[in-house]
Amino acid sequence: MSFSELIQSLLDDTTRSLAHFGPELWLCGTILALLLMRLFGWDRLVPPYIVATAGTLVGFGITYFDFLNLEAAGEAEHLFTGLLVYDRFTIFFRLFLTLFLVFVIALTVLTGIPDREDGPDFYTLLLGSVVGMMLMVSANHLLILFLGVEMASVPSYAMVGFLKGRRLSSEAALKFVVYGAGAAGVMLYGVSLLSGLLGTANLPEMAARLNLVVTGEAGMADATVRTIVLSLMLVFVGLAFKLSLVPFHFWCPDAFHGASAEVAGFLSVASKAAAFALLVRLAIAFLGQDPVAWAGVNLSLGIAVGVVAAVTATFGNLAAYAQSNMKRLLAYSTIAHAGYMLMAVAAMMIIRHGGAMAVFSEAEARSEAQRAIGGLLFYLWVYLFMNLGAFAIVAMIRNRIFSEEIDDYAGLVNQCPWLCVCMLLCLFSLVGMPPLGGFFGKWYIFASLFQAGKVHWSMWAVLGIAGLNTVFSLFYYVRVLKAMFIAPRPEGARRADIPWIEGAYAGILSLSVLALGCAPLLVNSVSRKAREVAGVLLIP
Amino acid sequence: MLDWIWILLTAAWLLPLLGFAVEVFGGYWQQSRRDRTPALIAVACIGAGFVLSVAAFIIWGSETHWGVFAAEPEHGDVPAQQAVEDTTREAAAEDASELQPADAGQQHSYRKAISGTIYTLARFGDLKLSIDYYVDSLTLVMFMMVTLIATCIHIFALGYMSDELTDEYVDHQAHTAGGDHVHRPGRYYLFFSYMSLFCFSMLGLVLAGNIFQVFIFWELVGICSYLLIGFYVERHSASTAANKAFIMNRVGDFGFLIGLMVIWTYFGTFSLGPETIGDETRPGIFAMVRNAEGGLDIRNESGSPVVHLNGSVAEADDAGAADGEAAVTAERTIPYWLLVVAGLGVFAGCIGKSAQFPLQTWLPDAMEGPTPVSALVHSATMVAAGVYLAGRFYPVFTPDVLLVMSYVGCITLFLAATIAVVATDIKRVLAYSTISQLGYMMLGIGVAGWAAGLFHLITHAFFKSLMFLCSGSVIIGCHHEQEMPRMGGLRRKMPITAYTMLVGVIAISGLAIPFTILGMKLAFSGYHSKDAIVATALAFNYKNPVHFLLFLVPLVTAGITAFYMFRLWFYTFCGEPRDRHIYDHAHESPRVMTLPLIVLAVFAAGVAVGGEGGPLYRMLLASEPAGVDVGSEAIDPTVAFIPEDVGYALVGQPARAEIHSVHAQAGAFALIAAAAGAVLAFLLYVVRVVDPGEIKRQVGGLYRFLIEKWHFDTLYDVAFVRPVHRVAAALAWFDRVVIDGILHWFANTSVRIASWDRKVDEGLVDGLVNLVGNVTFRVGRSLRAVQTGQLRQYIMFIALGVLSLFVLQFIFFPR
Amino acid sequence: MQIGLSEYLIVGAVLFVAGVVCMATKRNGIGVLMGVELVLNGANVNFVAFARYTPLGLDGQIISLFVIVLAAAEAAVALAIALNFYNNHMTIDVDRGDQLKG
Repeated sequence: MSFSELIQSLLDDTTRSLAHFGPELWLCGTILALLLMRLFGWDRLVPPYIVATAGTLVGFGITYFDFLNLEAAGEAEHLFTGLLVYDRFTIFFRLFLTLFLVFVIALTVLTGIPDREDGPDFYTLLLGSVVGMMLMVSANHLLILFLGVEMASVPSYAMVGFLKGRRLSSEAALKFVVYGAGAAGVMLYGVSLLSGLLGTANLPEMAARLNLVVTGEAGMADATVRTIVLSLMLVFVGLAFKLSLVPFHFWCPDAFHGASAEVAGFLSVASKAAAFALLVRLAIAFLGQDPVAWAGVNLSLGIAVGVVAAVTATFGNLAAYAQSNMKRLLAYSTIAHAGYMLMAVAAMMIIRHGGAMAVFSEAEARSEAQRAIGGLLFYLWVYLFMNLGAFAIVAMIRNRIFSEEIDDYAGLVNQCPWLCVCMLLCLFSLVGMPPLGGFFGKWYIFASLFQAGKVHWSMWAVLGIAGLNTVFSLFYYVRVLKAMFIAPRPEGARRADIPWIEGAYAGILSLSVLALGCAPLLVNSVSRKAREVAGVLLIP
Repeated sequence: MLDWIWILLTAAWLLPLLGFAVEVFGGYWQQSRRDRTPALIAVACIGAGFVLSVAAFIIWGSETHWGVFAAEPEHGDVPAQQAVEDTTREAAAEDASELQPADAGQQHSYRKAISGTIYTLARFGDLKLSIDYYVDSLTLVMFMMVTLIATCIHIFALGYMSDELTDEYVDHQAHTAGGDHVHRPGRYYLFFSYMSLFCFSMLGLVLAGNIFQVFIFWELVGICSYLLIGFYVERHSASTAANKAFIMNRVGDFGFLIGLMVIWTYFGTFSLGPETIGDETRPGIFAMVRNAEGGLDIRNESGSPVVHLNGSVAEADDAGAADGEAAVTAERTIPYWLLVVAGLGVFAGCIGKSAQFPLQTWLPDAMEGPTPVSALVHSATMVAAGVYLAGRFYPVFTPDVLLVMSYVGCITLFLAATIAVVATDIKRVLAYSTISQLGYMMLGIGVAGWAAGLFHLITHAFFKSLMFLCSGSVIIGCHHEQEMPRMGGLRRKMPITAYTMLVGVIAISGLAIPFTILGMKLAFSGYHSKDAIVATALAFNYKNPVHFLLFLVPLVTAGITAFYMFRLWFYTFCGEPRDRHIYDHAHESPRVMTLPLIVLAVFAAGVAVGGEGGPLYRMLLASEPAGVDVGSEAIDPTVAFIPEDVGYALVGQPARAEIHSVHAQAGAFALIAAAAGAVLAFLLYVVRVVDPGEIKRQVGGLYRFLIEKWHFDTLYDVAFVRPVHRVAAALAWFDRVVIDGILHWFANTSVRIASWDRKVDEGLVDGLVNLVGNVTFRVGRSLRAVQTGQLRQYIMFIALGVLSLFVLQFIFFPR
Repeated sequence: MQIGLSEYLIVGAVLFVAGVVCMATKRNGIGVLMGVELVLNGANVNFVAFARYTPLGLDGQIISLFVIVLAAAEAAVALAIALNFYNNHMTIDVDRGDQLKG
């Protein structure tokens, strides 16, 4: 291949790739516009949130257009010389992220964080973070894995510290940035080892290389296997940091507590979703085309993930008990939910392994694994609405009563009944009460866990723990509701009169939660779509 | 293009619903009660509805090549043949939403109704519940009338209700238990959201393409009127009036429901127009009950008359129909008497809604609502719904039902007019006049003056809404004084109100200059429509001399109407002020209120321009059911509902030609009566040849009888309300003593059992639950200690975490 | 002595461990951030070494270039946050940030 041919093919590849890179490009353009606004002082003329909203909406529109043609995106397409992959999974998560971004921007506009002065900066960070997450969900290469995680994290460090004059905010940001940088460093080290040992950094090639490197039955006696497992651990640390899994969750309560509720809501949903997408891609890359040689290791990796998930859910729920600050409570609840969702990944890994163990036929194993991931995706959708809803309501109430302490929520039902009802819907959905969306999310994941239990009993144990956790979690959510609905409002407490537009916002979110539980058609179509999307990853 | 008609009308119908949703929630959430936005939204919605309706009308007209206005034979000599053709086509039409440019020529396409389904709610076997539309020229006229009047009233209400624009409204007519005035937040937004809902309901009723849908919107209209009449819910009188209106309507609706069930059972469909289920197209109710000539297919089977329904297939033949052979062998049938029951049932609904005798008592009490509500209720919406339905269901009504209808109308119009003569509350006079005029409409429809009755409905809507708004203007101007004896001379203070009111008064009285100038009579709308009714009644009288009262009473009442309406006007606007204080503080209303008055006055004067040759009448005539214009001679004695030996079993209906021949005569009678009434009023209240008070004393007994509204309220109180109270009290006693006794025994027993259970519960179950709770809480608290807040420890935990995971892998991994 | 892949990896590992220890022990916020740089550079050494000795090839070098750029960006943000911390606490002793706990 001559040099000119090389250049030509590179050009072709780039132009072809750019066509599928629309949403990211558009968001980048919006970021640029925001920065230029600041430069030329246009932010005095046009409120920055308008630019941000417009850009995001267009991004969402592009993604939605892709989503409508979901069937058309059959085969996975590799972009930018194989750094990114464009398939249904990518489209699905892009849609998730851009929609979520629309909601978050709307929330920031409603609750007035940031002020006009800081608007361009804040939205630059917000959009930049989302671009990073979009890279994460389409990562096909270890470099993008790292770059995506970092690109998603770095702006969020700054966002956590955005309440400039607050001691707590600055402390939270410092802890977050140091912790995040540490975790990223650890992950990068893992990436370096992994790519060096396998001789490639391309995710789809890894399984094949694994079969070359590891000959015979893989076991920890082999130094190569040991190193690979260690480096996988290190990479997992980076993702576990983003997912706030125990024991890498320490940043989460502190950062959420110190940050504004809007930022906390953003972090709790978006970065989790992106990290889960990445984790699923990574896990499937390692399950590979022929995982027989690697089978034993895969099984124990799956169990390890399951154990981490169970510990995370339990820890999150128990630690949430004694919290008095609403954001902190929700932070622990976020940790617990990451645990639930991780269970789906564990179930998927175990079930995939079930094919090798001849518990399931190959086709069965695939369809059950598809179900597990589909359940995870459904859960993420519900989680978007219910968790953002809870954080949004916390932000709205904070703007009125200047407090996020649960005790100060006493008797709010008398002053903003509808908002309290929205909160009730969101929290009950977080518990997993039928007929709300959270119930179906848990239901799908638990069903997959049950199937996985047929392969290895430990999954049934995880299922039992998860069920117990659901009961535990009820109490601390109810404590909040008790304060809101039953306790009398103290004399002289600040009034919380919520303008209708904010109520409508909370209403939309909580009604979505309700609809995802009550409207069978919707539940079916979303879960079917999610399974369909998951299927694309599992093509043999 | 034709599809656009129903699309536009549907949009016009749904817009107020949208408005309602926005207003009621938006208004609830808004911080201040001083915001006019909800009201403006309401106005915009209904105004847009009017524009859309007009657009639909224009499309309809151009699609039918304006055949409706094209030179049509003067009334009377419409060839029967033509009407026959039209309905034949209607019955045979496969797809009603598409006009066939057929051989018969396009000039009659305007007579065809457009029907179809907007949205299917559910289907249970043969029963289809759907939202349908049924659009003909009547629908279009009603849409334009309702939206136009409602727009005017909305705009008027912008000003009228503006004292609700406050965070603290003091209701001087409502008192708390402590005797203070009621203080409450203003409900401006709520008022307009209810108004929007009201308009939505009424438009839905007009657009409805099946009888079930009609019933739904019928009830919705009732609910809206309940909400609006009881708008000042803190006032005892208002809440009572709202209850009364609702309950009275329920009585009528009960009949409606019976009629509905009969129709469903025997017709097997709710649909008015042709209905498509699967591949099969079935005729609607109207095409089933009437044949092409507009006649009933009555046969004598085993001694009792049975009506055969056209083009229908009985359920037993479904299997036969399946194999392609359209089974025409077995038709659906309905016993004649059940058809009468169905007709009477539907008419009972109309009685309730349109406040006919004997359910008329709710309407005057409904004056407790704000005046714009009264205007809306009394002109375009609620009461119009009853007459509209009577007109719409005309094909279902047998001659017997029509006769009942005319007598009910006749009684109502006289009764209400007499009460109106003595009423002194300005709004109540108008309320009784409404009842009376509704009686005219019912009478008109009953004596086969289908178009005449609906003609009067439209014209009445304009001049009555005008007069109500004028009275509202007066009430606002006089600071909520409604008693006429305390007014007088207001003409000088509020000229616009006075003269627009005069237009309405002349219109309702039916005064005219009995000459034609440039081929047009100098007459306001009321003259034309009332004239049409009286003429029909006279023709009916000629045909059935036994029913002479059906002509005489309306004629006399025309005079009474003119009398009390002019009395009202003279009382209020002429003469010397009777209450100086009120007079001095009276003022003309702001422009937002007078502008609708002027608009409505123009319409009240000119809407019926051209009389029976004019566009409005022709529009209505285009929807007239087949056979009405031909008239009928007699009913076959074998099917007579009323036994022969009573002696007047035969009711013939006048043909249009016959009506036309007596038109001039009837017109002259009516005009003389009206003029006499007006002059009498002038003499009594302006010239004061005799002191009205003196007359009052002379006929004291009659006066008290009328003031007591013919003792209807007392009668109902004694006949229904008190017995019900007695029975209720007796039942309550039974409940308290017997039933409660038994229940208490059960309750005590279970309490005893429960107390044992509780001991187990407290000791064992609660202990366990508390233990779990305490343990988890303690664990949770101790877990907090892990989160030390020390950054360096967190970092340490990363390293330790990786290490521990790795060690665990070492232990558990396969080797 | 022939210098091979192992030696490079050992250097990388030492840098990595030194970085982690630095992060976990330093009380000075800037010191902690320097630890982060060490960790990243440990990984970078690995990448470059792997690029030289394994089929990873140029990918390793490219990745290390990206990492260097990214480290700079991260350091900028981290320093800004440290400065913000200083403004609020008048110290950059990370142990003084202990209000958020439990």
